[in-house]
Amino acid sequence: MKRIVFITTLLAGLIFMFTPQKANAQCKQQMVYACATKGKSIYLRDFNTKLRSNRPHESSARWTIVLNKDAHYRFTLCTMDGYEDKVIMTLYDSQHPEKTNPYGSTYDPKTGKFTDSFDFICRKSGMYYVSIRLREGVRVRKTCAVGILSFVGSTY
Amino acid sequence: MQKFLKYTFWTLVIIFVLSIIGCNGCQKQNDTINIPQNISYQEDTEIYVANKAVVDKIVNSFPSPVEVAAIIKDLDVPFSKKYLVSPDIIENYDTNVKKALGLGVLSADLGYLNVYERTTLIIQYLSSIKRLADDLRIGQFFDFQSLKRLATSNDNLDSLIFLSLNSFMQMNQYLQQNARGNLSLLMITGVWIESLYLMTQVYKDRPDDKLKELIGDQKTLFTILYQGLKLYKGDEYFDKILHEFQKLDKIYSQITITYEKVKPEKNLQKNDSIPVYQQEETSVIHMSDQQLKDLINITEQVRNKLINL
Repeated sequence: MKRIVFITTLLAGLIFMFTPQKANAQCKQQMVYACATKGKSIYLRDFNTKLRSNRPHESSARWTIVLNKDAHYRFTLCTMDGYEDKVIMTLYDSQHPEKTNPYGSTYDPKTGKFTDSFDFICRKSGMYYVSIRLREGVRVRKTCAVGILSFVGSTY
Repeated sequence: MQKFLKYTFWTLVIIFVLSIIGCNGCQKQNDTINIPQNISYQEDTEIYVANKAVVDKIVNSFPSPVEVAAIIKDLDVPFSKKYLVSPDIIENYDTNVKKALGLGVLSADLGYLNVYERTTLIIQYLSSIKRLADDLRIGQFFDFQSLKRLATSNDNLDSLIFLSLNSFMQMNQYLQQNARGNLSLLMITGVWIESLYLMTQVYKDRPDDKLKELIGDQKTLFTILYQGLKLYKGDEYFDKILHEFQKLDKIYSQITITYEKVKPEKNLQKNDSIPVYQQEETSVIHMSDQQLKDLINITEQVRNKLINL
């Protein structure tokens, strides 16, 4: 009897483990919506990702974006409560590497300060990268984060 | 009781085995290409597999259908319906490839209408987009009723833009994940050509140096998109688009872009304490007035040809 209960519980656990959880792992649409509509700038797109520190390929996510010249963009990061200083969003390209010289980030390594937004004045159209990653050393079993790209105005 | 537990045990064993098999199936779905039978586009699967990553990258990176409209509005250009394609044009679209391109064109126009808050027209365009999306079997991502409700109530511009763009992104993602990246690329092509048409037509009415730069600067996006479309060379519909794009290529290849260092502007930091970062390198567009005139004319021809292919 005990053996049956044990095996049943084990199997139930295994089923849960193997059930695809991608839909739940990313942030829910309500969170994306709240993040996208909290400022005055015009929403352009979002970057929604799950993050786990115990799986190296899931501790960060990267997107390629094309930005237009002379546009003033805003990048906003929204995290789960308590994760404000554990997740970083960065804008970079091959000439301005993410780790050493990015265009902008929600974390300033010089001051150690975190912000939930930063603005970027684009002076040349082209491809750029946006990353969202867990800060180094942070241990998180599972969380999610949303980045929002929005349009503030032209720099004309 | 013993019998019941044994029954439960074996039921769970079967569920477990099935869930493992099912999960393997999920995994395979991402790796193999399964083109639905009722998609009119006939493509070589091997080429598709090889190019999928490139096409996905292009599609995912492209600017949203709202961006150009937002830039134009920011230049204080008044609204004009004459720049837009008629929402009734969907009656001419009888294949999935035509519908996908049309969906992109109408989405760019919807972005323009959203930014200028033209409620009545928005509903007409939403109806047409909904029909195209349903025909392409991606209508489930398009919450027509909510969009219609938002369009008819004031003070909901943020929500309307969010829901429109979010639907557009989800439709695109679904097409990519289901081996229909060709349709996704066509949607982006539709958005881009309509956006370029919008910029050039506005320039014709209200010449502006900054808009001229933006039109010339589209060479960067054109080059990326043109390379993506070439991956489908050999397909009848894509060949027709490539034939039209060759005309744009002829003009854009004469326009050059160089880069130079600039000093960052001071006092960009606003009171809201959001850090402002500026690029210290800028692109300079070298385009003569004649080249611009040619580009405006060719864009008009190409756009009108594409929406009626």
